[in-house]
Amino acid sequence: MLHVEHLTCGYGPKPLQNPVVKDVSFSVSPGERLCILGPNGCGKTTLLRAVCGLLPFEGKAEACGLDVRTAKRRELAQKMALMSQSGQVYFSYTVYETVLMGRYAHSRRAVFAQDDARGAAVAEECLRRTGLWEARDRPITELSGGQLQRVFLARTFAQEPQIILLDEPTNHLDLKYQLALADDLRAWAADGSRCVVGVLHDVNLALDFADTLLLMKEGRVVSRCLADGFSTRMLDEIYDVDVAAYMRRVLARWQG
Amino acid sequence: MRTRTKAGIVILAAVLSLLAGAGIGSVFVSPADICRVLANRLFGSPLPENFSSVTPGLVLNIRLPRVTLSFAAGAAAAMGGVVMQSVLKNPLASPYGLGVSSGAGLGAALVIVSGLGAGALGTLALPAVSLAFGLATVGAAIFLSSRLDRSLSNNTIILTGMVLSLFTNALMSTVSAANPEYSQRILLWQLGSFSGRGWEASAMVAAVAAVCLVGFLRLSPELDAMTFGEEQARALGVELRRVKWVLIVLVAALTGTSVAFAGVIGFVDLIAPHVVRRFIGARHRLVLPMAALLGGAFMTVCDLAARTLASPSEIPVGSITALIGAPFFLYVYFSHRRR
Repeated sequence: MLHVEHLTCGYGPKPLQNPVVKDVSFSVSPGERLCILGPNGCGKTTLLRAVCGLLPFEGKAEACGLDVRTAKRRELAQKMALMSQSGQVYFSYTVYETVLMGRYAHSRRAVFAQDDARGAAVAEECLRRTGLWEARDRPITELSGGQLQRVFLARTFAQEPQIILLDEPTNHLDLKYQLALADDLRAWAADGSRCVVGVLHDVNLALDFADTLLLMKEGRVVSRCLADGFSTRMLDEIYDVDVAAYMRRVLARWQG
Repeated sequence: MRTRTKAGIVILAAVLSLLAGAGIGSVFVSPADICRVLANRLFGSPLPENFSSVTPGLVLNIRLPRVTLSFAAGAAAAMGGVVMQSVLKNPLASPYGLGVSSGAGLGAALVIVSGLGAGALGTLALPAVSLAFGLATVGAAIFLSSRLDRSLSNNTIILTGMVLSLFTNALMSTVSAANPEYSQRILLWQLGSFSGRGWEASAMVAAVAAVCLVGFLRLSPELDAMTFGEEQARALGVELRRVKWVLIVLVAALTGTSVAFAGVIGFVDLIAPHVVRRFIGARHRLVLPMAALLGGAFMTVCDLAARTLASPSEIPVGSITALIGAPFFLYVYFSHRRR
């Protein structure tokens, strides 16, 4: 449902002269949870932003049959949602209002229209699913980082996408929130018709969450493999560290 | 307190400020008499026998146009503030930051110095030229920004607007200093005033403000999404570049018109949005009309103070808005932060 072919992109006035992402191809099928792994600066976040259509790129990217480069943002947003780091919020929207914004791409336009009934129903369902229904009238400026990220998760669900892109959404979150977020996304993708593509900074979380891994180094895809048949030697290669030795050390401390 | 109650209070404040502005002055006119004059003018209902013969003219030709202009200019400043804060995702952004006001100021200074500002031609030339200069400055700022940075990012707009503002301001100071006999008039124009503007100016500013309010309301879902950052807005489905262009053009036209007819009056653009967001919420569908009403009411009351406190002479209304506005803003901002 997501096809990327020969994607090359970068920043600055001449992005193709010194690209950050070089000739990357991959595809994701329904029900799949794919995590992109790689060291800092390997281009994983850049790749994700290009796939979302937020950066100009060379090559081809297709989401649910829509050409990412030429599709209208509204059409694209009906199929594909982006969840990123929560960042700072400036104005005190309530939790409910924030989640309702996920309906933007689906809403009809009218100056004085009331929120449509279907939008309200979807927003309520998403709030209940993420355990936020009781907190719906709280201003988001008063929430903790973990709570705020749950609000953005609910907003992402409210967008009713087929594809969710994750851009390091668990940064600065406690373990509890990280695991809850991973569980919610896993449950969301479990119906077999939707997929998640993510950049997760935490390798452990990525290994636990994903069923497929895309390993990147210096802007190129090194390998694409199943998370189950994964060997630490691959991590050694892309991160340039002895992962097995590190794991042994951690486990030894833990058991001792 | 429920949102509806708060909105009711704001509407009530707006109506009261209009009645006070139209009623208080050298001659007091009661709200009932204002209504009688209006009913007489609009529906032809007869005035009472003993009604003062001066009152209708005073209300219709002097007080009401002035009140309308101050209210519309206040509403324009407040709406411009709301939109610029959301577009630039910066709580201190202001429509004047685009360079509209300093551009308009330069235009006005040139008209005053050249002597075109005097006489019947001047009442037309002054606003027309300052509007043209104001819009030209915004145009230059946006053109430069988009040349320097194709994605038209916020920091580029803020910086280019600031640089151009300072530059046109310096040009205006130079013009003013080179013509000391006009510098008093230029200074007074800069401080802004609503006196003796007549219905043409009021109707113009009010009409542009009304059109812009409708335009902003139509784009209120986009504005809501944009406060979360440009990438998030685009990922939610907003065609960001196009929306940003439309919003900036509307703000420039709105602020330019207001500045051209009433001068640069600061602080309303900063205070009204903050107060409304603090007490009523964040959604633009509600914030925009409420900020317009509150900004209009605040400006009208300030103008009332400006023309009555030191009567028969007038204090520049810009001084009043700053005198009340600066401490009030500090109070609102810091009590907000302590929370």
